[in-house]
Amino acid sequence: MKQGAIFLVAALLLAALPVLDSPFVQSMALTCLMYAGLAVSWSMFSGPTRYLSLATSAFFGLGAYCTAWGLAKLPWPLVIMAGGLAAMLFALLIGLVVLKLRGAYFAVITYGLGELVKHSITHVEKTYAGTVGRVMTETPSSNVVYWTVLIIALLAVFTYVHFGRSRYGHALRGIGMDEERAATLGVNPMRVKLLGFCLSAWFAGALGAAMAVRWTYIEPNTVFNPFIVFQTVLISMVGGPLTVGGPLIGALVFSLLSEFLRLSLPYLYMILLGLLLIVSVLYLPEGIAGHDWRALWARFGRKRFGREP
Amino acid sequence: MHPLPRRLALQAALAIAGLLALPGFAVAQEPTIKVGYTQSRSGPFAPGAQTTQEPNYLLWAEQVNAAGGLNVQGKKRKIELVGVDDRSDMETIVRSYEKFMTTDKVDIVLPPWGTGANFAVAPVANKHGYPLVAPTALSQKLVDMKLPYYFVTLQQPKPMMQALVDMLAANGVKTVAVSYMDDLFGLENIGALEPLLKDKGIQVLDKKSYPLGVKDLSTMLKGMKAANPDAFIGITYPPDNFLITGQAKEIGFAPKIFYTAVGTAFPIYRERMGKASEGVMGMGSWNPKMSKVAKTYFDAHVALNKKEPDRWASAHAWAALEIIQQTVEKVGLDRKAMRDHIAKTEFDTVLGKMKFNGTEEVGVPGMVGQWQNGEFEIVWPPARATAKAVVPKVWN
Repeated sequence: MKQGAIFLVAALLLAALPVLDSPFVQSMALTCLMYAGLAVSWSMFSGPTRYLSLATSAFFGLGAYCTAWGLAKLPWPLVIMAGGLAAMLFALLIGLVVLKLRGAYFAVITYGLGELVKHSITHVEKTYAGTVGRVMTETPSSNVVYWTVLIIALLAVFTYVHFGRSRYGHALRGIGMDEERAATLGVNPMRVKLLGFCLSAWFAGALGAAMAVRWTYIEPNTVFNPFIVFQTVLISMVGGPLTVGGPLIGALVFSLLSEFLRLSLPYLYMILLGLLLIVSVLYLPEGIAGHDWRALWARFGRKRFGREP
Repeated sequence: MHPLPRRLALQAALAIAGLLALPGFAVAQEPTIKVGYTQSRSGPFAPGAQTTQEPNYLLWAEQVNAAGGLNVQGKKRKIELVGVDDRSDMETIVRSYEKFMTTDKVDIVLPPWGTGANFAVAPVANKHGYPLVAPTALSQKLVDMKLPYYFVTLQQPKPMMQALVDMLAANGVKTVAVSYMDDLFGLENIGALEPLLKDKGIQVLDKKSYPLGVKDLSTMLKGMKAANPDAFIGITYPPDNFLITGQAKEIGFAPKIFYTAVGTAFPIYRERMGKASEGVMGMGSWNPKMSKVAKTYFDAHVALNKKEPDRWASAHAWAALEIIQQTVEKVGLDRKAMRDHIAKTEFDTVLGKMKFNGTEEVGVPGMVGQWQNGEFEIVWPPARATAKAVVPKVWN
């Protein structure tokens, strides 16, 4: 319950952030929350099953396009819901096929399908709407966007925790450990995987739908940006996808650190970021949250003092 | 030796040194003018941003500071550039400009590179009341947003296509083949081009589009070769204008006029394409032969950045900086006054007279350039031409 209380206080503080009236702090928090939401929802499926999905950019982009199409016609909450649903529907369609694959094949095909969606949207837009980019003029205020992203991120955390504890969460972990054994024990792997995949897709789609209005103009290349999925996977990996704290810590550390390095060392930050990633992959294979810090500390003590402390 | 006099002497020396330093403090430097901007130093926008835009920002700061600074209401103030990498990422661009305008409260902001980035930043600048004069934004939709604080110095699709079609008609072109990229730039230019061709009675024999990141266009080009048009028009961006030029040469598609749009005016196009670039036409606005100021700008750019500016939007980036400079020296750093001044004044720039009608610059006409003996000559309109168009293009 202590964790729940901390979580609640943090959520309330974040919700009150617009009081500060500092657009930069708020947009920094927005980026953190967006990646927190993406990483938590990615970890929801890919953490327990160990299926490395690279479809996040496709979900995100689909959500963004839903906003571009629907913003003028639908109320804001419906636009967000629709963005999530579009991503979910897409996840269902491709899931039926690609969830039969494993390992590198799964990763490559989810990435490829992202490219397919990008080019399909380009084609549809060009043929039927006579345009490719879309301009959004009447956009909700930045506070509304911020609160929307906050709610989606909170929902993702809530879902991660409850889904993980449910029957389906156990089944997903079982599939991740040994799919055949799980099937023998009475789990329907396809159905469980589909459910997890679709659930995680909803959040990426909804986040895409919420963020699109920040950029006034969207085109396939900016919203189906592979950078988004790479960053999401990195954050989850560095944070540790097996606990909900992992992706949250990862998003916070990664967003703040990369922003700090970018602004303070404009010509060096890419090199530093690369080095940090190599170090964390080599020495923190389970992620920051999953790492056994006590053991590390004990080893450090042994080396330093020659014997057990 | 008695230690005391020595210490005394030392103290006296220090005191004198201190006194000498004092007048220096009395005329302490005026505060710098903080200029915030993002440019892409990494990611897909980087080649464009680093060819056309950021080198100009660096050159401007260097030149102004070498002259003692900008003259703000009688006081010389140096420029302090606060430039950061935006990773070619929209959210990073928006966030950085929000920081410049609200947390850092910089005096001036300069725009990012590219149409998409300008779409994202223009409303933010408008909201916070920062005038923005952009060189690399190309979209009628952006112009139509009518944001009072936003200005574009680059010619928009309509005047550019008008110049192209007039040039084609003047050279007796009756038939064309058109290829364009599947994006806003491609579609807006095609939208402007088709009615103009119709007006002049020029027939479109073939029209094909292709997606961004295409790797092979030889099938499309073979089809166009079979149609045998007088001219080829490619509404292209780098790197596909390299691809089209190279493959057209390979398959022997050699119309009288060969036009590729953006990136043709980049020095790297001439270097990569070698002899095949000779005679290729494209979007351009200037070259160092055009005027003395253009030559001075060209030489200064090469001296500082160790690379040539491109023959189109580079000069528009420079002109945007000249407009900012003339505005600040006239009305100071009050941003509302700056906006009003930019909106109603005619400026002298490297490209000649410039003035704005709303967002759009209307002083510089659309132009067509052509590579001739290693220089991108302006061949249309006649009033701006630095050389006569060489038609037909010779493929060697």
